[in-house]
Amino acid sequence: MVKRRILLADDDAEDRVIFHEYLGDRADITLLPFAENGVEVFNFLETAEGDNLPDIIILDQNMPKMNGRQTLEQLKTSGKYAGISVFVYSTYIDKTLVEYCKNLGAASVVTKPITRNEYHALMDNCIKFLKPATEVVSA
Amino acid sequence: MLFIFGNGTLQPVLVAALQLAMDEANETIKAIRTGQVEAMVVNGENGHELYTLKTTDQIYRVFIEKMTEGAVTLNSDGIILYNNTHFADMVNLPLSQVIGMPIEQFIQEKGKEQFYQLLERGWKNDCRGEVEIVSEQYPCVQLSLATLNLDQGFSLSIILTDRTEQKDNQQQLRLKNEELEKMNYALDLSNNDLQQFASVASHEPQEPLRKVQIFATMLQEEEEINFSAHAKEYLNKIIGSSKRMKQLITDILNYSRLSAGENVFERTNLNELLKELLTDYEILIKDKNANIYISRLPEIEVNKGQIRQVFQNIISNALKFSRADEAPAVLITARKLELKEIDSPQGDNFCLISIKDNGIGFDKKYANNIFSLFEKLNAKDKYEGTGIGLAIAKKIVEKHHGIISAKSEEGVGSEFVFIVPISQKRIDDYRLW
Repeated sequence: MVKRRILLADDDAEDRVIFHEYLGDRADITLLPFAENGVEVFNFLETAEGDNLPDIIILDQNMPKMNGRQTLEQLKTSGKYAGISVFVYSTYIDKTLVEYCKNLGAASVVTKPITRNEYHALMDNCIKFLKPATEVVSA
Repeated sequence: MLFIFGNGTLQPVLVAALQLAMDEANETIKAIRTGQVEAMVVNGENGHELYTLKTTDQIYRVFIEKMTEGAVTLNSDGIILYNNTHFADMVNLPLSQVIGMPIEQFIQEKGKEQFYQLLERGWKNDCRGEVEIVSEQYPCVQLSLATLNLDQGFSLSIILTDRTEQKDNQQQLRLKNEELEKMNYALDLSNNDLQQFASVASHEPQEPLRKVQIFATMLQEEEEINFSAHAKEYLNKIIGSSKRMKQLITDILNYSRLSAGENVFERTNLNELLKELLTDYEILIKDKNANIYISRLPEIEVNKGQIRQVFQNIISNALKFSRADEAPAVLITARKLELKEIDSPQGDNFCLISIKDNGIGFDKKYANNIFSLFEKLNAKDKYEGTGIGLAIAKKIVEKHHGIISAKSEEGVGSEFVFIVPISQKRIDDYRLW
């Protein structure tokens, strides 16, 4: 089974723990070390070699230093990392944020899950989004 | 110039002679009108008689003297040759003193340059302009300048019309406008503040609230096995309350968002809109065993998402507040009106939409209250809801330049009626409302 590499950036320690708690034992993903903001995302990406790059980056919108959409914008204009699927999640989302992020090239913008099921549903959607792209690459 | 007529008796002989006499008469009238004729001698039955035009002259003299405008005549040096009494009153001097004075003496210092230019123009072409004169009562006047070619040579006649009152009114209007602008600005600011407050007050609490929900569900899902029946019940209450809290915050946010931003209206088929809406409610409608009847509704210009919300909030209320002993029935009808009034005659300007149910109803003394924020008539343990639904409906209808009202009878049912313009564009065009 292909294990998808997931990078989560969230400044909320509890959310990082819950993310790990609910999704850590999924067989189809590998959780990369968490980032606490956008700056740490880039720190990680720059030290990671090609194969170690994440397949999916999940960004919390409200983070210090570099928030979700700023990180998204820099990722999508970087060239190097523009191909990585980026999801933005936040406790509350509004139309403006959704449109803004979609225009920048976000795969999806979602509200933060609450229950275990919701966390799994989020991850299922992330992976589902990836599939067509992978098929194109392997073909 | 003198015109001498013939013997005054016309022989009825030749048409040509008549024609000649007619032409002569026309020429005379023209000469009189343009001021070329001062007097006429007519050979009448009593011999030659002299007719002067003094009488006409006098009418105009009196007229100029009596009119409520100031009148002056200047020579080429700007000296006043003639003026009427009203002008003397304006500058508050005796009539006899004004004649012979240079006109510039009565012009306010700061406007003199402008006045000289106006005079210069006036000598070339008839024109108008505004100046301030030295006068307590009538400082602001409009001048109409016209040159006259009289026997004594060219002179410049000026009529002075008092503009002080208009100027004052204009000034006051300008001040009031400025005041209004300031107030609008302040209002905008405070609206923005309020908007921001509503936004912050509803955004920020969502973070800790979500944590309450997360850990409560975590307890429920992972640790329930260790709980007593009581503990489980309390936990359920926590989860239920936090869900309600979340809904409340979302509703407040939606409500406050309605105030912000411009509305986008599009022509919408209400029947199609309702069909979509009811598809979403299919399960609830089936569960409640409800019947929803929709008559033919017109196409009107609305913000689709918002009007959908209005229908949704009212219909979901109808389903929620249904009677235990009877399956809920909802009847949606529409008619076109001339005026924005419930009892308006038929017309093409407005559309009245009625949503009638057979639910529990409410006491009619609450008919206005129910549209206020957080107004709930029923205990929350019986009927869930945040009390914002109808407030949102009202706000939306008002954003559509419409009105909404409700009537009801306890135990019989309620009817919600809203009236909105069929076209929003016309409202902007004519500012009718």
